[in-house]
Amino acid sequence: MNKFLRTLIPSDIAKGLAITGKHFCKVFFTANRRKVPFHIVSEYPEVVAKVQPRYRGRLTLLKDEQGEIKCVCCLACEKICPTQVITIEKGKKEGRKMPYPVRYDFEMERCIFCEFCVESCGFDSIILNHQFELATYNREDFSLGMEGLSQNMFEPSPVGKFSVADD
Amino acid sequence: MPTPTLLQSIAITLIQCVLVVLFVFVVVPLTVFAERKVLGHIQQRLGSTRVASGHIGVTGWMNRGMWKWGRIPVLSYWRGIPGLLADVLKLILKEDIIPAKADKFVFFIAPALSMVSAVVVFAAISFVPGTFFVFPSWFPGLAGLPVSGGIADINVGLLWILGVASVGVYGIVLAGWASNSKYPLLGGLRSAAQMVSYEVPLAISLLAPVVLTGSLNFGEMAQRMATGTSAWGLVPQVFGFLIYLTCGFAETNRLPFDMPEAENELVAGFHTEYSGMKFGFFYLAEYINMTVVSALAAGFFLGGSWLLPFGLQGLVNKLLPAGAWIAGPHAIFFVAKIIFLLFTYIWVRGTIPRYRYDQVMSVAWKYLIPLALVNLLLAAFVRCAV
Repeated sequence: MNKFLRTLIPSDIAKGLAITGKHFCKVFFTANRRKVPFHIVSEYPEVVAKVQPRYRGRLTLLKDEQGEIKCVCCLACEKICPTQVITIEKGKKEGRKMPYPVRYDFEMERCIFCEFCVESCGFDSIILNHQFELATYNREDFSLGMEGLSQNMFEPSPVGKFSVADD
Repeated sequence: MPTPTLLQSIAITLIQCVLVVLFVFVVVPLTVFAERKVLGHIQQRLGSTRVASGHIGVTGWMNRGMWKWGRIPVLSYWRGIPGLLADVLKLILKEDIIPAKADKFVFFIAPALSMVSAVVVFAAISFVPGTFFVFPSWFPGLAGLPVSGGIADINVGLLWILGVASVGVYGIVLAGWASNSKYPLLGGLRSAAQMVSYEVPLAISLLAPVVLTGSLNFGEMAQRMATGTSAWGLVPQVFGFLIYLTCGFAETNRLPFDMPEAENELVAGFHTEYSGMKFGFFYLAEYINMTVVSALAAGFFLGGSWLLPFGLQGLVNKLLPAGAWIAGPHAIFFVAKIIFLLFTYIWVRGTIPRYRYDQVMSVAWKYLIPLALVNLLLAAFVRCAV
């Protein structure tokens, strides 16, 4: 009898309609009018897109307070990389005890953004930043490196005009 | 008031036709736009706000302009309107492909059938009883002549509406058959079964107003339903409205009864092989059908061009002073009710998931037909007893 009544009286449909109606009204009356809008999308090209804190974007080399490259060429990232996109050439620099990377090449076209390199790094010298606009027009532009190559790993991506560059 | 000559009455009818077609072709694109916005808002999105997605070129210029206007609260809601224009342009300019093994004539005639049967129904719907407006004395040739609220005042209007509206199923079935492909054929067959099944409870639920009013003329029925029923008439009107609306959703192939055009099972159902403006005709016909079903529901159950629904206006009118503005019929109330029902269509689409095919059939035959019959019985009791 109870089931029969529930079939006849569309109370569940009414509940669902109330919920969706509430959502509609909230978004309709707050869109573009309040500091914190109810809708969960952002108008991406005009408004700078915010990604989650753990987002894995492009690989970036970090520098310390004196402007020195933190990397000491332990090759941990090169060894652990599953797609072998990192190539490091060890070198020496005047007035620096630790080894210095002469070349640090990163071929982004094969990178799977697994963050193993960052986890393996014992000196916190690389991170994956929050940049997600990584498309380029040429295949050559995907080979990133230090100064001299088309995409400099210390600077934001040339096509990424709208995303957050770094944290 | 002067009696019009033959030429004048033809001119007046033409003007009425133009007005009604204007109404339909203003409401339908706005419904398409509202569907995008309302579905978006229900899912906490913003709906359509830009043309294409570029930041360069003509569309980029438009997008940047619309973003600037969007800072103004009211204009922000209408930012998607140029997208509608782009849609129409796309439908007209797109290549019209006819499959090699399709039946060319039937393939061509099917969208026209569904479109015509949807539009022609509006001839019997009266937007306001009596005269809509009188031509002013300076108007050349038609000075002082009245324009009535509907195109044709048919005394078996309801039969005519149901008859013409059910021709629309031919459009879908023929489209499915003429495409000479598996998915459209399945979609067409399903829609035939579904629409024939739902025609039965739809007609029975519309019989309740016929019994309550004793008329088949649309304008007369709307007037008696709004102002002439007793307090007991409320019960069959409310139940009849719910049954009619459910059947109307099924009859126009809208979600949750979206069987002919089941995207997740049949690619796109009966119009899989259609492209260009032929597809556009099916698209338009669906939305015009929605408007027709809304107009019938507004006229028979929601009090037509009177303010209050379900015959409450007749009860309230006894308390109101004679000649009060709220007591009389106005076309704007009718249009507002149609628009509210169109919103309800989208609202329900955003809320209820699709039914399975056998569930759709069992809802029609096991629940809606008995309920509609009980409702008809109630209406008959109310009619006899009060």
